Amino acid sequence: MLSVAHISKHFGSLHALNDVSFDVHDGEIMGLIGQNGAGKSTTFHSILNFLKFDGAITWNGQPLSADDYNQIGYLPEERSLMSKLTITQQIVYLARLKNQPANVIKPKINDWMQRFAVKGQPTDKINKLSKGNQQKVQLICTLIHEPQLIILDEPFSGLDPVNADLLKQAIVAAKQRGAAIIFSSHDMSNVEEICDTLVMLRNGEVVLNGTVDGVRDQFGRTRLFLTTDWSAEQLSTLAGVDSVTAIGPNHYRLKLTNADAGPAIFDAVTKGHYIQEFSQQPPTLDEIFRTEAGGVDHE
Amino acid sequence: MNKTWIVTSETYLRQAKSWSFLMLILMPFLFIGLTFGITYVATPSKDKSDIAVISQDASLRQSFLKTSGVQTTSKYQTVNAAQDATKKSDINGYIVLKTKNNRQVSTVFHGPNEIASGDQAKIQRFLSHLQTQLNVQTAKLTTKQTQALAVQPSFKQQLQKKTASDKAAKTISFYILVFFVYLILTTYSSITAQEIAAEKGTKIMEVIFSSTTPRKYFNGKVYGVLLMIVTQLLVYLLGGALIVQLAQHSRLTANMWSQYAPIIGKVLHNLLSINMIFALAAVLLYTVVSAFCGALVTRVEDASKASQPVIYLNLLTFAMAMAFQGSPTSGIVTVFSYIPFFSSYLMPLRLINGTATMGAAVLSLIILLATVVGSMWYIGKIYGGLMLQTDELGFWGNLKRGLSLK
Repeated sequence: MLSVAHISKHFGSLHALNDVSFDVHDGEIMGLIGQNGAGKSTTFHSILNFLKFDGAITWNGQPLSADDYNQIGYLPEERSLMSKLTITQQIVYLARLKNQPANVIKPKINDWMQRFAVKGQPTDKINKLSKGNQQKVQLICTLIHEPQLIILDEPFSGLDPVNADLLKQAIVAAKQRGAAIIFSSHDMSNVEEICDTLVMLRNGEVVLNGTVDGVRDQFGRTRLFLTTDWSAEQLSTLAGVDSVTAIGPNHYRLKLTNADAGPAIFDAVTKGHYIQEFSQQPPTLDEIFRTEAGGVDHE
Repeated sequence: MNKTWIVTSETYLRQAKSWSFLMLILMPFLFIGLTFGITYVATPSKDKSDIAVISQDASLRQSFLKTSGVQTTSKYQTVNAAQDATKKSDINGYIVLKTKNNRQVSTVFHGPNEIASGDQAKIQRFLSHLQTQLNVQTAKLTTKQTQALAVQPSFKQQLQKKTASDKAAKTISFYILVFFVYLILTTYSSITAQEIAAEKGTKIMEVIFSSTTPRKYFNGKVYGVLLMIVTQLLVYLLGGALIVQLAQHSRLTANMWSQYAPIIGKVLHNLLSINMIFALAAVLLYTVVSAFCGALVTRVEDASKASQPVIYLNLLTFAMAMAFQGSPTSGIVTVFSYIPFFSSYLMPLRLINGTATMGAAVLSLIILLATVVGSMWYIGKIYGGLMLQTDELGFWGNLKRGLSLK
């Protein structure tokens, strides 16, 4: 388990991180979300010991040792490889730095290239690959030594939906073998889809921390999806309705001032009859991100 | 496996397999080979430099052919044949050997050009010896008288230490050493700074530093470059030994070799001594500082600029060595011969000229090596911060931010 406890980091007068704490358990995927400059990369850099920081970061209860770094797979935000090396040379070199013998890694390369559908041969030079394929090779470098702690900084950035799915499968597979995984993302659908927990940072501080459903439920079931022959004007007159948005013919999304208003609205709209849809939900992560990450309600 | 060694071997193999490194190593040999080849082609063949010997006296002719030491040919036995061969430029000319009344030796050289001075001396020596024999016979001297006349004056040279050949050897040693050190420092400073600056620009460092410590990585890079330099030196030593063998036995260079063997020996002695350790230590220090300069650059495009401070420093020390090469006893040379960066040029200058003791050299070397170790330790400590600092803040800003990260 990775435990980040009360870490702070200042760059001059800038408070990059302020008392940040969270845990990532084995076999768990944590999404680290926040706006640009919120402190996500600084958090990763602190875990990787790139920076001096105040606070404590432990792995299985101990400060991270040199040997523990062999168990880490890290994908930085900006992708980069050694362009003059071949795919095999690059993967083997980085794996050797993780204490993996070349003869153990080499036989796995073809399998991983197939898994990520890399177009090219292991003997191809990195600079001959397309940008997308270079990105996939870097993902292979991050995962091929089967690390126990995986840190992915914006891993879905630049990937098309097909390749994003391949990456999700790899992340879930790593989770199933017991790895603790943290990734940052601006795409809340990816977080919602595969994360068990999430931490949201705003200006270097943790503003949300918990399971994905738990975090959403914190905001109450104030989103109501409704299919009815009522008009938007009629719906907006109901008690507890803050706003009404038409999202299709006879299909509306209502924002409630209070989740407790739901039963009364149900009674008013159905009048004891069947209606096609009445679904009261918490806000989506995307909505929460918009309202919480920047500290401003964008709606 | 030790991660420092992994970085060392990767750095070394990547560079050693590159064409630029191969060319860097082979260029001097290609140049020497080319010069040798051109000289070989341009030099007349063996027969053309020969001299024919014509004489009525067969034993006299044989004696000259065998003992004169002149490059001769026995192919032509008559004046007409020798004349024809000379006209066709098959031979350099011919000499006609005669003895008048068995009392006086006379010899005439016939040829298009004057005979070489070395050959003239050899012919003169042969003739003098022969004439002495004839004189003894003519004078009908007893054995005792002959022996008495055979006594030769004694001439010995009691040379002072600073002979002309010593001075030439020192000058040659100095120039070879200074230019060699200058070129090798410039080359490897540039390679190191650019490679590290390029790496920093690609951000691969974050991945690498998530696997090994910046110190181990930095040390590995420096050792990798050092291995390249050692490889280059070994190739030069082996190649040099081969060239010495060739030069000693090739007809083009054998004479020159034997003539200059003492000077060449002294030059080699001056080079293959503690001076070589100064050169290696200097390369190590410049490599470390170059890595530091490379780590301060923030953009790949600026990689070529990274080595400039080190190149200029090397140029300054080189210029100083050249300026003071004629005055190795100067106080400035003495002081600077203990200061790292300068000592690599100036202490060898003093050693070559015999103005520094071995104790002074060892002290200077200890200071230089301590500086190398100290710089490696300190730059290894701040290397991570420097390499991960990628904001464009200028030289001092980059340094300040880099130092604050770790």
